[in-house]
Amino acid sequence: MSCNGKEQYRPVKARTEKVIIETSNIKTFVFRPEEPLSFLPGQFMLVTVPGIGECAFTPSSDYKQKETLEFTIMRAGSVTGLIHQLQAGDTVGLRGPYGQPYPLPSYHGKEVYVVGGGVGLAPLRALMYGLNHEIDQLKKVVVRFGSRSPQDICYRDDLPSWGKRKKTDLVISVDTAVPGWTGNVGLVTTILKDDDVDVKNAVAVVCGPPIMMKFVNKRLLDMGFAPKDIYLSMEKNMSCGIGKCFHCNLGPYLVCKDGPVFTWEQIKDIPEPW
Amino acid sequence: MPSYFATQADLEALLARLIAEGEVVAPVLDQGRNILQTVTAATIKDVNLAGYRTVEPYKSYVFKLTERVATYFTPSPAGQNRRLVLFGLRACDLSALDVYHKVMDEGEPAYLVVTADCTACGRTCFCNMVGGKPYAAAGFDLNITALENGYIIETGSPRGEQLLSPLPPATDDQLKLQAGVRNGTEAQLETVNQEFKCKCNINWTEAHRLNLENSKAWKEVTKKCVECSACNFICPSCTCFLLLDSRDEGSLGGARDERGTKDENSRHKVWDACLKNGYARVAGGANSRPKLFERLQNRYHCKFDYSPTRLGRYTCVGCGRCIDACAGNIDMREVYAELVRQVPLTAKLV
Repeated sequence: MSCNGKEQYRPVKARTEKVIIETSNIKTFVFRPEEPLSFLPGQFMLVTVPGIGECAFTPSSDYKQKETLEFTIMRAGSVTGLIHQLQAGDTVGLRGPYGQPYPLPSYHGKEVYVVGGGVGLAPLRALMYGLNHEIDQLKKVVVRFGSRSPQDICYRDDLPSWGKRKKTDLVISVDTAVPGWTGNVGLVTTILKDDDVDVKNAVAVVCGPPIMMKFVNKRLLDMGFAPKDIYLSMEKNMSCGIGKCFHCNLGPYLVCKDGPVFTWEQIKDIPEPW
Repeated sequence: MPSYFATQADLEALLARLIAEGEVVAPVLDQGRNILQTVTAATIKDVNLAGYRTVEPYKSYVFKLTERVATYFTPSPAGQNRRLVLFGLRACDLSALDVYHKVMDEGEPAYLVVTADCTACGRTCFCNMVGGKPYAAAGFDLNITALENGYIIETGSPRGEQLLSPLPPATDDQLKLQAGVRNGTEAQLETVNQEFKCKCNINWTEAHRLNLENSKAWKEVTKKCVECSACNFICPSCTCFLLLDSRDEGSLGGARDERGTKDENSRHKVWDACLKNGYARVAGGANSRPKLFERLQNRYHCKFDYSPTRLGRYTCVGCGRCIDACAGNIDMREVYAELVRQVPLTAKLV
């Protein structure tokens, strides 16, 4: 979609195909756009509730699946509150994709260390599909995911199978366990402690709440990752999505145009980038 | 670029032709200041090209306070626009429109530009401190210099040339008078801004970068800010906006179209202000700039640090309107001087 001209703010009409309840405040929506819209992992789109407004989300589905797009959305504000009321058959608008994708070809031959928290798993799911398509070119994929509690984990039916994929190692940790939970307990940083990663030949990809990313980033630096090898998904208020309204400025960058994924090398000199 | 000499009657004839073909906005004198008005046949004689910039910027005629930028899921109503002429704008406003078009990247502007030289400077004008001049060198269709007994009209484009009826070329003496006006205004600007001029080799960008983490300096500057955002709105080169959606009966007047759609969904581009607390707030309430001093600092950094990186230029044009409009008497020139003072001596000597 062009960023210029009169059509730049007009969304493409899409039909809500399915709504999947993930947790008490997170749902996954399957949308079928009237016109084909393709994206690459890491890029985002704007979802319009007709006549109300739009919000930016990264699709969580496989980019090779062209007819429908999935978005995993947490209820957090007024527009997301209305999105959560959508039912199958309802109309929405989609605008995008915008932003820069993960530079997947540059990960070839390396270990990819994926660290996620909470609803940050949504863009990482799109990334995981992308990595899985190129798994033969990767050394291995290590996934470390943290959640507040077992009930707050998204993709519960699908997630355990990620660890069974070729060359992929998955560990999930919860901050607070409930009876029956047999996995790790503790913040996600606690399960990064013992990992044996060849940091000289690895990249780390992090997505989650700002406070989690801040501490995971610190931990990754302590582990020896170079700032240029840490990829962080930055969340800022966005309106236009195409680098014109300036709401999402992060120092000299615009998250919508230059991001939403940045390396720590790019943003390390910005005071309090989180 | 050829220059011609025009009498007051020639200028009024030009305005009359422009009015017949479109909307003309131009400065008129009001209580000793130039203010911006739409010119009608009855007010042609009120247009004043002497003095300095208008109180309000021209940007609101190009970057509208609220503008419908899309309708969706229903047919778009056809729009009809009259030709717009920005008449008598100064080099600072022209420079600000360059910022707007660089940011929006929406193709060639459709309006005509008739710039006018400043024949005096205001006490808050400081274009000379940010690389500007009180007259335009390029980017106009016509440029006018008001002299005591007439006008020098310079053409800057074939479109501008076509606007003029035959006029005599300006004589050498008349061009000398034009140079005199320009030099005189530049000298006035130097005098007005003498006390703020940096005595060392630190430009605005460096002054900001060297104080990036100096929150003490910014907290001091912010003491006088009342967060009214007047500076954002009056600034000719502040272009931030928010997209707002609405649902209404729109052009269909409540009737259903052939697809059975009744409502028209519209998307509007509305001015926004980075000094407002909610500007950077995300869903759920997190805010990357919750403190006022962080927002004020961000505004200055946007203009003098981030914009040179992103757009290759400052996005302050030195018009000084923010100084006039500020309820707390914050003067951008004083902020700059203060930032330079805060830079360690070693950095100044580099």
